[in-house]
Parts: sequence; structure tokens; C-alpha cells
Amino acid sequence: MSPRADLLRGTLDLLILKSLDPGPRHGLGVSRRIAQITGDTFEVKPGSLFPALHRLEGRGWLASEWGESENRRRARYYRLTARGRRQLRLEAEQWERIALAIGWALKAT
Amino acid sequence: MEGRLVSFLRNTFRRRQVEGELDEELRAFLDLAAREKVAAGMDPEAAARAARLELGGVEQVKREVRAGRPGARLEDLVREIHGGMRALWRSPGLTAALVLTLALGIGANTAIFSVVDGVLLRPAPVADVDHLVIVWETDRHSGTSREPASLPDFTDFQRRARSLARLAAFMAGEVNVAAPAAAGGGAAGDPRRVAALSVTDELWPALGVAPLLGRGFTAADTRPVAARVAVISESLWAAQYERSPDVLGRIIRLDEEAHVIVGVMPDAADFGVLQILSRAAYSRSFADRGAGGRVDVWTPLVRDDERLPRDTHPIFMIGRLAGGSTRAAAQDELAGIAADLERGFKENDGRGVFVESLPDAVFAPVRPALMLLLGTVLLVLLVASVNVANLLLARGATRAREVAVRTALGATGARLARQFAIESVLLALLAGAAGLALAFAGLRVLLAIAPADVPRLAQVGVDARVLLFTLAVSITVGVAFGLMPALQARRVEVQSALRGEGGIHATAGRARRRLRAVLVVAEVALAVMLVSGAGLLTRSFWHLRDVDPGFRPDGVLKAEVQLPAARYPVDFARWPDLPEIHAFTRALLERAAALPGVEAAAMAGNHPLDPGFTNSFTVVGREAEAGSWPEISVRRVTPGYFATVRLPLVRGRLIATSDVTAGEPVLLVNRAAADRFFAGREPLGRQIRLWGAARRIVGVVGDERIHGPAAAAPPAVYLPLAQAPSAAGGEVVLVRTRGDPAALAPALRGAIRAVDPQLAAFGIEPLDRTMDRSVSQRRFVMLLLGLFAGLALVLAAVGVYGVLAYGVAQRRRELAIRLVLGAPPGQLRRQVVAQGLLLAGAGVALGLAGAAALARGLESMLFAVAPTDPATFAAVAAFLLVVALAASYLPARLATRIDPMSALRDE
Repeated sequence: MSPRADLLRGTLDLLILKSLDPGPRHGLGVSRRIAQITGDTFEVKPGSLFPALHRLEGRGWLASEWGESENRRRARYYRLTARGRRQLRLEAEQWERIALAIGWALKAT
Repeated sequence: MEGRLVSFLRNTFRRRQVEGELDEELRAFLDLAAREKVAAGMDPEAAARAARLELGGVEQVKREVRAGRPGARLEDLVREIHGGMRALWRSPGLTAALVLTLALGIGANTAIFSVVDGVLLRPAPVADVDHLVIVWETDRHSGTSREPASLPDFTDFQRRARSLARLAAFMAGEVNVAAPAAAGGGAAGDPRRVAALSVTDELWPALGVAPLLGRGFTAADTRPVAARVAVISESLWAAQYERSPDVLGRIIRLDEEAHVIVGVMPDAADFGVLQILSRAAYSRSFADRGAGGRVDVWTPLVRDDERLPRDTHPIFMIGRLAGGSTRAAAQDELAGIAADLERGFKENDGRGVFVESLPDAVFAPVRPALMLLLGTVLLVLLVASVNVANLLLARGATRAREVAVRTALGATGARLARQFAIESVLLALLAGAAGLALAFAGLRVLLAIAPADVPRLAQVGVDARVLLFTLAVSITVGVAFGLMPALQARRVEVQSALRGEGGIHATAGRARRRLRAVLVVAEVALAVMLVSGAGLLTRSFWHLRDVDPGFRPDGVLKAEVQLPAARYPVDFARWPDLPEIHAFTRALLERAAALPGVEAAAMAGNHPLDPGFTNSFTVVGREAEAGSWPEISVRRVTPGYFATVRLPLVRGRLIATSDVTAGEPVLLVNRAAADRFFAGREPLGRQIRLWGAARRIVGVVGDERIHGPAAAAPPAVYLPLAQAPSAAGGEVVLVRTRGDPAALAPALRGAIRAVDPQLAAFGIEPLDRTMDRSVSQRRFVMLLLGLFAGLALVLAAVGVYGVLAYGVAQRRRELAIRLVLGAPPGQLRRQVVAQGLLLAGAGVALGLAGAAALARGLESMLFAVAPTDPATFAAVAAFLLVVALAASYLPARLATRIDPMSALRDE
């Protein structure tokens, strides 16, 4: 795996965790929420979204259950677990440190 | 961690549900996305299409999800194994050929390994076997180094030796065991003849074997006045007493005398006894007597120096080295004691000792043969593996296209290699399972034809160790020979493979062909080595069969009896006048001679293939010379013996009916004795002092090879049975019949029963069968080696055929063009055949060199054949070339049967 893909995957995981912070969502909801909170900068394709959701669930950061959507369609809802919330905090801090550091680096003359 | 484990288990074991949920999740996504777009004003159909577009390939998404799951690698492996099975299933013919080839190799290895493991590798059933030694006596005069000792000698060794912690003695024999009376008080059944051992009380403590039930013997049991007690084997306990603990204290009748059962010993308690008996000079093992290879009855060895004086040598000694002592130290110390005994007693003139390690004595005689067989089956497995590698290579070529397509689609070399390896391991495991089935069947045959004196043969079987061995062999073979085509496949050049019709680039094809040619040469070479070995053994065996044993066993039936002292008393004061025994001999002889079809009949102390015993003797008037003479074999026969076994008279006269008990003591010498003791002198009329009487030599007879056909006849004397009846009660009846000797067995048994209804006859069999058994180990090894060599030969022939046929198939176009251009078919045929002969010739040359190098290891198993016998090697070379010629001719015919038009149209 190239370092860039790694970086992107880390970013995607962080965004998914963040999008679920307010409450449970189904797959499409996660996708739309990410678009919304990033100002449409990140458009997460289902081809990356679903593998990521299942992977995060496999690591115990997300839990899922079947529920009914706003228009009465049965869908799978993901929510953060306690460990997921901890992971979100951890990754957010780390990201902020990196963003800050890179920001300084770019501003340096 | 726990979440991962749960989802791993879920993914693995609730697969269907997990997949169903994934399906529904994705459908929900499509649905929701479409509704969202409809809500935004799209028309439903366009919305559905847009949603599908957004999702992308459903299958692709699913695959990505699966790949991310815990346990995905295992799933990959399962899928690859599944794929491997499908690949094998797609070409059932090839798969069957591969599995069968390997199964033969693996099966042969499993069967032989289970024998080697059971006989040689497993720990001995006794404590610390490396500290056990056999103490033999030696005889400087005869040059024999393994003789039993006398009871007084044993007592002296036991009392004086410090280098031995314990020294025990045993004496071998057989007894008739009467079946116990049925519980309801019915009559006792027919007596059975079983192997029996008289042992001193130290034997089991020395071996470190404890009784299963009851006790062993005590020193008190071995006193002449002691009550008669016996210990029985576990097998006898199971067979006759249903393993009842009440057996202790019950009465068992041994040779019609009552003994109290005081203990039960495990079957393994006779460890080494059989081999010690077969190794000793002047002794024979139970196996030769038809009493089976297991000791069933144990009695105390009665330490009575009057009955077993210093000039009688029936005692075998087993010792355990004292802590810190060695075999060499024991040898030195006991040799010193033996020298003292030699100075002190004239009976010990020329006697020394030989201390031998017990494991050496037990295993040394079978180790070379077993190791030879193990080496042989390994070679067979190698040939089989080479053949499989060859077939896989051939298939690899046809699969080049598949490989190329998959490489183009992004499969990595490692992944392809892994798939090929998985396929070949699957193959090898299938072959392992089939081989195991073959081994089970083969082992039963093997054990049935194995010579009886192989130690611990009864404990040979397929168990966990053997299964593990089979598994290890299968996987090793699978990986080693599966990887070869896999590595070849990686060299496929994608472009040319996809474009080219031949499938592979010309250079890759040439490399592959060269590799296959090398494999075939190796295969032929291995086959040559095996066939040469088998050839040498077969020639040895023929030589052995051609040896004139000095008598004619065909048409002779023998039966043995043991006269119990209770009804046939032996009074040494009156010997040789033992009226009961002489009456029995006369009565049985009369009845045997009167049986229908009988030409001649005789009674004897031993049959012609029983070495019997030897004695020291002097020639009257030349007593001084006797000090340096070896002992002489003593044969005791009735006058009919010579006609019955067709032992020819050389000079003088034979034993006659007039040589009665009270008559002048006479004897005959054989030619070997005449040459050895009367070189240049006239033996007739001289007197030999033996067994307390001067006996006049009245004739010279031919030599009988009483030690079997492989050993020269020892010097021997023949005494009239009437003048030398057995003091131990053993007698043999021999009849020569015009018809089938085996068919006469019931009648002979009936005759014995008519004379003494309580007597059990044993060892009833045609004498040529006894003769066969004396060469049974040689035949066993020869048969197996021959079988395996044949197997290797067939495999090598298939290999030659395969390579040539494949070469012809690959050159179809070229051959077709040459045919069209007018090349004579004969020339093409000759080219293919020449190619085959070239391969075979190289293999034969290499194989002969290898065989010459290896044959030295065979030397101990050869008889009258040099290990580099040119005739054998030439015959093997010619034979292999003929086989190769046949294997090449079929593909050659194929070459000229090509229809040029269809071959060219294929393009």
C-alpha cells in the first residue's frame, strides 16, 4: 500500500467516525454527512465506504443494527461504540497536530 | 479484540447470513439513494440508474468488503483450495494417473516404514536395553563364538562376575499344554505345542519386566526339590483363561505334569529370546519348529548340577552391566573367569566367553535387510515423484495460456506459485490417503510372508507415528515436486503466450524440454539401480536353490514328537536300553512304513535341516590329537533314514537292522568328517569314542547341509537310533511317498495317535517346505526388492513414453510439414526412437554406475554372486533398453500417423 493511500484511508476512517458522532446513520447517510461536513470536498464512493464501515465494525469501533429509515425502508444503522468514540478523539488530536505541523511547514520561508 | 473475534467467528460460521445482510445493505443503499434523487425531482427510472452508477459494481463492492473482514486470508486459502480441487477435477484422467503413481510410492514407503518403525525404531519393551548383554561361550577348537553354556559354568560366572549387576539364565524348549477342562467339568481338549522357557529367578529383574499378575520366580523355585510352578504369557492367559484373575493357583498340565500357575507375564517379556536362539550355533529357534514365535509358558530353571553337568551346554545367559561398567570390561572380567574354569575342569578345554550387546544380537541380523528395503522404497518414491513432476510439467505447458491470462489480469507470480503449490499438495494428500489404503493391504501381505525370526513383528501396525510419517512424506513430495512446474510457469512470457499458438515462447519450451529429459534420465537411472539390486538377489536365490543339499527333500513328509518323561522314563544308568522309547520308535516306524504310498520311512533324532547338537569325541588310538578338534554333529537315525532322504553311501555299509541296542556299537561318518579327521587314512574299521563307548566306523556317507543350503555341511557322525535313543525325548518321523507328501499328513498324524493317543505331533510338513523356510529371509527381501524394482521400471517406462509422446505432440506441425514435403515416415520414426534410446542410454549408464556403488551394501545378502556381477548388469542394461525401445516405439508411430492436413489446419 502506498503511503498516500494509507493517509487517505486514515482520513476516511476519521471522517466516518466524525460523521457518526451526532448519532446513528445508515451507509447513505454517512456518505451524505461526510459530503456535508467537508463542504462537498470529499465524496465517498460506496466502493470505499462499505468496506471501511465493515472494517471499522470489525475493529470494534462501530456497532450496527437494522432499523427503519425516515421513509420506512429497512436499513442498516451504524453507531459509535465507546471505543469508537475514544478512537475518534485520538485520531482527531493526531490529525490536528499533523495539520498544524504541515501548515507551519508550508508557511515557513 | 473481542469484537474482532466475534465478527471473525460470525464471518466464518454464519457466512450465509453475513452475505445476505451485505446484500440487503447494498440494496437499501440503492433504494435510499434513488428515493433521494426522486425527492430532488428526478424521474424514478433515471434516479434508479443514477443510484446504480453511484454504487458502482455491486460485486466489486462486496469483494472489497470481504477482503477487509477478519479471516479474509483464510477465506482466500479455502477458495484457492476449492479452485485447486476444481482444477484437478477438470482433468480426471491426469489426476488419477498422478494420484495412483504417487500413491504407489507413498504406500510402499508407509508399509516398509511401519515395519522398520515397529521392529527397529520403537523403544525396547525392557528397561535400559543398552546395558543388557548376552554372555556366550566360545570354542577355540571349532571356532564357534556363540555357544550356550553349562549350568555349573553359569553358576560360577554369576557368583564371581563384578562387572555385571545381574546374570540370568534360560533354557529353551517346547511343552504340550493341555487345554484346561471346561468349567462344566467336560473333558480336557487336545494338547497344544507351545514354546516354553525355563528361566532363573533373576531373568525378569535383569530385563526390567514385571508380571501383569501374580509373581515371577524366586530362588526357592529353582531348587531341585521345589514345588512345580509356572508363569504363562498374556496371550495364553487371554486365549485359555479369558483374562480371569482367578488363573493364579490354577493347575496347568505341561507335558502331562501338573504345575501351579503363579503369574502372568506380558507378551513382550520374551524380548530377544527368539533372536538369541537363532544366533546360537547348534541351536534352533522355536520358529523352525512350528511352535510359533512367542514364549507362552515359563517354568523355573531347576539348578540341578547332576542332571545338567559341566559337559552339557543348554544354558543361555543374559546379564545387566553394573553401573559404570562397560561391555568391554565385562568381556575382560568374564574371560578371566573362563580361563580359570578352563584350568580347573577338563570339560572346559578350549572354552572362552564372548560378551555381546543384546540390542546388537537382536537387531543386527535384520537391520541390513530392513534398511535395504527402506532405501529401496525411497528410490521408488523418488521415481514416482519424478514422474509426477514430469506430468505436471507437461500440464504446465498446456496451462501456459491460463497462466498468461491471469498474469495479464494482475495475478502476481507469488500468487500463481501458491496456487500451483496448493494443487500439488492437494494431489499429494489424495495420494497419501490412497497410499495409506495400499499400505494397509500391503502390510498384511508383508507380515504374512515375513520370516518368523524378525523381532517384534507382531507389534508392527499402522498407528499415529506411521500416519504422521505418511503425512510428512506426502506434503514434502507435494511441495517439492509441485513447485517445479510452478517455477517454470512463472517464466511464461505473457505476450507470446497470449499471441502464440504453441502457448510458450520457444526458449522457455526448450528449457522445459531439457528439464523433462533430465528427469527421465534420472528416473531410468534409479530404475536401473533397483532392477540391478533385484537381479543380484534373484541370481543369489537361484544359486541357493541350485545348491545340492546332499539329500532330497521333495516327496518327504516329517513330523516331530516330544516323549514326556513321565511315560517314557530316561534312566541314565541303563541308557541306551530305554525299553519304552525303543518300543515307541518301533511301533511308530512300523505304522508309518505301512501307510499307503510310502516308499521308505525312518525315525531320527533330528530331521535333515535341524542342526541338532554337537559333541566332543576322540578316535581310539589318536586321543592326543582330539584336543584341537572341533566338536562333531551327532545324528541318530534308524536304518531307513538313508533311503528316505536319499543320502548316498560312499563306502562301507549303512546302518542295518542288525545294529541293535545290545549289539556292537557302530557309526557312520560323513565325507566332511572323513576328510577332516582321516585325511589320507582309512576311516573304516577305526573306532570313535563318543558317549561312553568306542564305536566302530562301518561306512562313509555323503554330506547333508544341515545348517541350510547357504552353509557347508559340518563334519557329522550317524549312530543307530537303537544304540543312542534321545535322553531329552525328542524324535522325528520321516516318510518318503510316491504321491503328494502334504496329503499324507492326516494319515501320519493318525499313525502317531494310534501309537500314543495323548501325544501331540507338531512340525508336520513336507520337508521341502522346511527347506524353503530356511531361505525365507532371502526370499522375503528378494520378492520385495523385485516388486519395487518392477514398480520403478513401469514408472520409468511411463516417463520415457510421456516425454516422447509429448515431444511428438508439440512438434506436430513440424512433423506434418516434413511428411508433406516427402520425408519417409520410417526416418521420422527412427528419429523419435533414437531420441528415446538416447535418454534411456544415458539413464542406464548412470544407473549402472550407481548400482555398482550401492551393490557393496548388498554383499551380505548375496550368495555365490559378486556385487558387481557383469552378467547381471549386462542383462539389466539390455532389459532396460528393450523396455525403453518399447516405450519409444508408440510415440514414434504417433509421429507418422499425423494427418498433415488437420495438423496444419489447426493453426
